[in-house]
Amino acid sequence: MELGEFLKGAAEIGKAMGVTLKHLGQKPVTVEFPHEDIPIYPRFRGRHELRRYANGLERCIGCCLCEAACPTEAIYVEAAENDPDAPLSPGERHAKVYELNLLRCVFCGDCEEACPTEAIVLGHDFAMANYERKDFVLTKEELLNPGMPKVIIRPE
Amino acid sequence: MTDNVTLTINEEEVSVPARTLLVDAARMAGVEIPVFCSHPKLDPVGCCRMCLVEVDGPRGTAMMASCTMPVGDGMVVRTDTEQVRTVQEANLAFILLNHPLDCPICDKGGECPLQDQTMRFGPGISQLIEPKRLAKKHYDISDTIVLDQERCVLCWRCIRYLEEWEDKPQLGLFERGNDTIVDIQDGRPVDAKTSGNIIDLCPVGALTNRVARFAYRPWEIERTPSVCMHCSVGCNVRLDSRTHQLRRIVGRENMQVNDQWICDKGRFAHAWVNDENRLATPQLRKNGKLVPVQWSEALAYIANRLTGIKEKYGADSIGAIGSGKISNESNYALQRFMRAVIGTNNIDHRDGGEVAALPTGLPALTELMKPQYGPDPEVDTVVLFGLDPSEELPILDLHLKRAILRGGVKLIIAHARKIELTRYGGPYLAYLPGGESLLVSRLLQAVQGTALSDEEPAIQAAAKLLKESESSLIVYGPMAARGENGPGVRDGLEQLAQAVGEGARVAYVGLDGNAQGCRDMGVLPDGLPGQFPLDDGDARSRLEALWGCELSTFPGYTYKQMLDSQEMRALFVNGANPATESPDWSASLEELELLVVTDLLPTETAQKADVVLPAQGWAESDGTYTNLERRVQRAPKAVTDPKSRAAPDWMIFTHLAKQMGTHWPFSDAHSVTAEITRAVPAYAGLTWEALGDQGRQWDSDSAPVSGASAGRTLDGISETAFGDAEYPLNLVTGTVLYDGGTLFSLTEQMHGMAHGATVTLNPADAAEFGLDAGSAVTVRSEQGNLDLTVAVDAQVQAGCAWIPESLPGAPVGALLNGSFTQRVKIERR
Repeated sequence: MELGEFLKGAAEIGKAMGVTLKHLGQKPVTVEFPHEDIPIYPRFRGRHELRRYANGLERCIGCCLCEAACPTEAIYVEAAENDPDAPLSPGERHAKVYELNLLRCVFCGDCEEACPTEAIVLGHDFAMANYERKDFVLTKEELLNPGMPKVIIRPE
Repeated sequence: MTDNVTLTINEEEVSVPARTLLVDAARMAGVEIPVFCSHPKLDPVGCCRMCLVEVDGPRGTAMMASCTMPVGDGMVVRTDTEQVRTVQEANLAFILLNHPLDCPICDKGGECPLQDQTMRFGPGISQLIEPKRLAKKHYDISDTIVLDQERCVLCWRCIRYLEEWEDKPQLGLFERGNDTIVDIQDGRPVDAKTSGNIIDLCPVGALTNRVARFAYRPWEIERTPSVCMHCSVGCNVRLDSRTHQLRRIVGRENMQVNDQWICDKGRFAHAWVNDENRLATPQLRKNGKLVPVQWSEALAYIANRLTGIKEKYGADSIGAIGSGKISNESNYALQRFMRAVIGTNNIDHRDGGEVAALPTGLPALTELMKPQYGPDPEVDTVVLFGLDPSEELPILDLHLKRAILRGGVKLIIAHARKIELTRYGGPYLAYLPGGESLLVSRLLQAVQGTALSDEEPAIQAAAKLLKESESSLIVYGPMAARGENGPGVRDGLEQLAQAVGEGARVAYVGLDGNAQGCRDMGVLPDGLPGQFPLDDGDARSRLEALWGCELSTFPGYTYKQMLDSQEMRALFVNGANPATESPDWSASLEELELLVVTDLLPTETAQKADVVLPAQGWAESDGTYTNLERRVQRAPKAVTDPKSRAAPDWMIFTHLAKQMGTHWPFSDAHSVTAEITRAVPAYAGLTWEALGDQGRQWDSDSAPVSGASAGRTLDGISETAFGDAEYPLNLVTGTVLYDGGTLFSLTEQMHGMAHGATVTLNPADAAEFGLDAGSAVTVRSEQGNLDLTVAVDAQVQAGCAWIPESLPGAPVGALLNGSFTQRVKIERR
């Protein structure tokens, strides 16, 4: 009786150890964030970026359609006329002011949908913590240079 | 016109007036027919083919253009059949062939009839694979209008407006077939004074507003129905604002006032509203410098100084200058403060006590209007006396042109210059400044048949026209009725009207946006609110009961007297800038013990003030304005600068009255409007709510009868000795639309349109003095001198020099120095 129980227990342990041994050789599923990048799906909607054309011109033409589409009024656009000798964007119109309030944004992607020139896109950056409220309002310069290390992530 | 015809539209019987166009009949029946070229205020042309509908005829069903076809009795029309839809789709596809799809950067996007109709009636797909036609995209056809020839759908609306309303065909169609483009004529920019209306008319984004370019999106602006304050016509406008800024002004329909048209100054010159130099905080002079202070400190200082000055020199040493540019509420509060708190009648405005006015303005603008579909003007002959509507009242000018061309109105012009409206060939009676009353008496004699037989043919022709007319209207403006000459002109014109007969009337129109309201509010040294004389018992007892005080019967100083007088110790200046009008006044303002300036911008007068109070302007606070036909209209708050500490005038004076120990029951602008309805009998019932979006005229029968002029005689009229050897030229001055005033000059885009710092001479005089257009000269009068350049134009009479008021950097006041007429000489610099 006791032996039977012992063998039964040993078998259970062996079974459990089997699982352990089976995973011993496999890669771990956890990621050492923030020291390592986590995998992001291609259609993930993170921090916004304003894109440029290959020739350096801004894609954004200041049409304000993203602003109209935005359900939370997170976007503010102020358009202006291009200097024909030094245009910022193709055509006559560009965005003089482009501000995006991350505290209001719900990352729905409607701005992306509305944009006729695919200028505003939701990028893959999701770590957007910040210390001051005003820093959550992204300016056009910040949106045009998405690589800017504005976001501080605690090292520990 | 009253006959009705019955027709069937989409199986429903509709009864409309005969001669109605099918497209309008359908609109009345609630059936939508898409149109581009058709417009209810323009003649039909039928060029876009969008409005084709099925009409049953003797030879079967035909597709007819409903915008050119008048209704007929028993007509059977269908607008919703398969064939109509097919044609609409095909037509839209055709219009879109060459229309660029740059809606995202087009200012019309969001309020574009082509967008809307493409969505509603279009095919939904495009079969076009070929490239679109290319043409000029950013093409300034004037300083204020941008043309995009690619977007144009050739509907002719702009061309027709300029021809039919402005009578200035400055746009046309050029080239043929696929290459047809709309363009200016011979490279000359569009300069019609109301050209901006073609922007509102354009059914696509081909014509856009250069001043408001890219500054608004139709879906993000707040729309406030308001009235324009640039001149006394009081056109109805809509203020489009966003983020506390006024972004754009467009016309608003009011068939009693402006149809739906507004002038370019009203449309484009609004940059001053959001100017960065706007006064935003009270300032007090300390150690010779104006420094920002709190409201409480500024008001306490004023109250303290006023009490001291009143005790020392008496109430009549304190005066106030109101303005025809500010609202009824502001002016009412100012004069109540002076009359009830200070106890003086020293209150006036420019063109106030010095001008011999009449109390009721025009009988009604509709009597001069000829709308597209409507009766002819009631008036058949108009006399413009010293009034130049083209420069002073552009929408009145538009109505008059239309009335002449389509309503059979005859025009007689008496003016010191051969003004633009003289091109309609009516009698032009010239006079020299100061010779107005002489001209009136000559005209009167010609009408009475007592004129000399060798009287000028123009005067005889004018008299003949007046005698033939059944309903004539004599309109005079402040330029003809200022100073000593004024009463003579006014009385002479009244006698002229009596001599002409029953159908003749005389009207005075002021020029400033609220010139009429300013008088109605009693901003006059000899007139209480309602324009009652100071000794009118009823008016006095009503006001004394309302205000709880005794009123002075001692007539106050006029505008000019206040500034000339050495006895003034303290002066309030509200929305006026007398320092630029005369070097002497500029000096005397500095002599005052207390000068309080309430204004929008740091004017020359404000620079001299002891206290500067920042006021909220026309777009920033609720106010009512009374136009030249006594129509009281609302201008509600449209924008507020959150950083500014400016306050509305009525609030400033309510607080000041409180500091001086009087409690006024005003909690908001509407309560001031409500008190005006009690203080001015003619305004009874005209509360803020009652005025509505179209305003209401006050009843001219409730105005006090103007001084019995029938008894007065035209004595003392003698030919003034015009011109002498030393000063050979008569100075002619007056208002131009595009001047150097702050309300205009702060709109940068319009700088190129502004009247230059010029003195205009008759070609004969220029030749005599050996001057050419462009010569740099110094103009001298006995009072002062002014550096200008010469322009030469035959519209100026021989022996005259035309220098408009408030030119940029060239105040004609330097030559006039407070007088109304002056002789000048011209020297080469």
